[in-house]
Amino acid sequence: MSSGENRDEEREAKERRRIKSGEAMRDLMTKYYMEAKAAEGTDKHIAWITSGGPVEPLIAFDVIPVYPENHGAMCGAAHMNVELCEVAESRGFSRDLCSYARGDIGSAITKGGPIGGLPRPTFLVCCNNICNTVFKWYEELARFFDVPLFIFDTPFVRGGLPSHHLDYTRRQMEEYISFLERITSREYDEAHFVEVAAKSLYASGLWAEVLACNQARPAPMTCFDAFILMAPIVTLRGTQEVVDFYQGLLQEMRDRVEQGIGILPSEKYRLLWDNIPVWYEMRNLGRLFMELEACLVADTYTSAWTFQEVDTEDPLEAMAAIYTEVYLNINLERMADKIESLARRYEVDGMVMHSNRSCKPYSLGQYDLAKEFTRRTGKPTLIIEADHTDSRWYNRAEVEGRIRDFVENLL
Amino acid sequence: MDARMTVEECLEMWRNPYPRLARMREEGERPVAFFCSYTPEEILHAAGFTPVRLMGAVRTITHADAHLQAYCCSLARTDLDMALAGELDFLEGAVFVQTCDTMMRLSDIWRRNTSFPFHGDLVLPIRMGEEISLPFLVEEVRRFRGRVEEYLGRSIRDDALEESIHVYNRNRRMADRLYLLRRERPGALDGLSATACLVAGFWMRREKHNDLLHHILEEAEAGKEKAAEKLPLLVSGSVCATPDLYELLAELDAEVVDDDLCCGHRYFDAFADENISPEEALARRLWQRVNCPAKHQCLEDRAERLLRQVGDSGAKGVVFFLQSFCEPHLFDIPYLRNRLREELGIPSLVLESELQSFSRGQLRTRLQAFLETIRGV
Repeated sequence: MSSGENRDEEREAKERRRIKSGEAMRDLMTKYYMEAKAAEGTDKHIAWITSGGPVEPLIAFDVIPVYPENHGAMCGAAHMNVELCEVAESRGFSRDLCSYARGDIGSAITKGGPIGGLPRPTFLVCCNNICNTVFKWYEELARFFDVPLFIFDTPFVRGGLPSHHLDYTRRQMEEYISFLERITSREYDEAHFVEVAAKSLYASGLWAEVLACNQARPAPMTCFDAFILMAPIVTLRGTQEVVDFYQGLLQEMRDRVEQGIGILPSEKYRLLWDNIPVWYEMRNLGRLFMELEACLVADTYTSAWTFQEVDTEDPLEAMAAIYTEVYLNINLERMADKIESLARRYEVDGMVMHSNRSCKPYSLGQYDLAKEFTRRTGKPTLIIEADHTDSRWYNRAEVEGRIRDFVENLL
Repeated sequence: MDARMTVEECLEMWRNPYPRLARMREEGERPVAFFCSYTPEEILHAAGFTPVRLMGAVRTITHADAHLQAYCCSLARTDLDMALAGELDFLEGAVFVQTCDTMMRLSDIWRRNTSFPFHGDLVLPIRMGEEISLPFLVEEVRRFRGRVEEYLGRSIRDDALEESIHVYNRNRRMADRLYLLRRERPGALDGLSATACLVAGFWMRREKHNDLLHHILEEAEAGKEKAAEKLPLLVSGSVCATPDLYELLAELDAEVVDDDLCCGHRYFDAFADENISPEEALARRLWQRVNCPAKHQCLEDRAERLLRQVGDSGAKGVVFFLQSFCEPHLFDIPYLRNRLREELGIPSLVLESELQSFSRGQLRTRLQAFLETIRGV
């Protein structure tokens, strides 16, 4: 066989393995960002919102939601976040602050980044279920843009969800609705809200099914693909386009499983990933894991947007409960339960944890979780040091060396 | 006892409170640790415990690195290190108040890796001072009381709790007087001594501290004012684990005339209402007191208060003294500094502290340069 034929075969195999829905997602996200940017300066309302925040009321009130964290990930992946961080640092923001926040503040000042910055917000919505960094960051944004800030406060949960937590978050959902009525001069339409919430839940259910396809061997995608493919569920859940997109993606994943198409040329090991991606290093790390025949089949991050079925009798209370009990807002034992369950369902051989210096609630406790994981599953863990979008803290040679050692020693 | 000697003892405790804490058990006390100024100490006090505050220690970390990353503040790291090294075995337990992400995770890590009999958690809302969060906080305080009672195996009587609230309110009134005295008659009581007397209260039964403050105030208020021309400054930040900052400023002829510290002014701000139910009184106090930057009241509350404090105290400069990696404080630095500069023309200096690599020499150099700038040398 000639080398030309060889290359053709390789190209074909690669094409077969490629996830086709990626294009539909890029189109969806491009259209979304173009519309959001075009709305700047018009009478349309634009709200910046945290990734774990309740977006459904915004969709129901016809407000365009914009996600600085998603934008941060984009800036990180485009290797543009460091220069934005430096802008914030030159204004006195410490290098020890979250790099999403620094990059976002930098981008607000300079309109820098791959899409020329985000459209100016008319108001801000911040939910601290993912961390307490966000409300400090959003306070700064509120001062910078001089716009109203709504804080949806979700107190930390240890064990079960106590009723006074739910009372508090339920009342804030009502307050949130009144806040939106005031800002948009529209009335709350519960039927419409229920419709949006139902779409959101439905899309999140589809997303859960997409992720579950990775229980198959070989896995049809890696969690690095999921990190990209989750953009619509994070930003636009509650809309019909998102439901359509995930229906298409789920079909593709099911087809792949049926036809035995794995994402890697060869899958020898299956691994679990913990924490936010190292956005600027996805390509290199993806290549490395592929070379090591190790597939990252599941992660603790993308499943944060898979909500459980809820009672729609009281949609506001249902939403309040969902947003309070997310992965980062619960105690270590409950996190360990979730990790263990992922490990068993996806039959992993070990876990790679990204100790992310930008994210304390995700990273502090990882050493104890790693030990607990090994105790419960008998599988090893590797902890690598990085930062989700500030590459100045990353030592490629060291991290790659440790990953190699880890995978080569898997049984 | 002579007031000078009392101040000297307080300073000694501030430098190293641990030998004294280690003796507490033998003296019949039941020390329970707390970290955060939002702890409802009155409940512990009424239960018969002596709440003692852990504010870290200058030390090399040997045990905590297996549980906490290096980008976590040195308060959490050194406190955990002492616990894991068995140096805090005199404690009956600890109380974790969820102020920041680090404390929230530290509670679980501490509970999983130590074996103190008592472990308490109190979750705070971040929205303080708004009607919507008050019922939540009242319920949290009630549950915290329930948790302590469950551990004790008996209930805490309302009158005992009311008495503890009274004792703590008296303490706050005297702390107010102490600060007023320091500000208005700095010659009678210097910043280092005043702060040492306040901080020492973290490591003794509150009644004893009330006696101590009473004694100091009587002497200082009656005493003659010495004329002292020192450069007035305000210190803002979290806690000063050691008196070094204050000692250095005194050496460099500066005087701390007021503070915005969580081991200072923020600790004793606001009273608990003695005419309502004890849980509501405690919750309301936490809810309306001056905010920690890890809590939200409105966008400008910290700046407004800081500017007012600087104006009232006549401070000529502000020293921000923070723990490295402390996000809530670090986020506020740029806007606080801008407003100080633009509205009052007040210069400021940011110092970060890491207890595991503490350098007094470096601190001195930076303070000296800052003071020279203000003095126009």
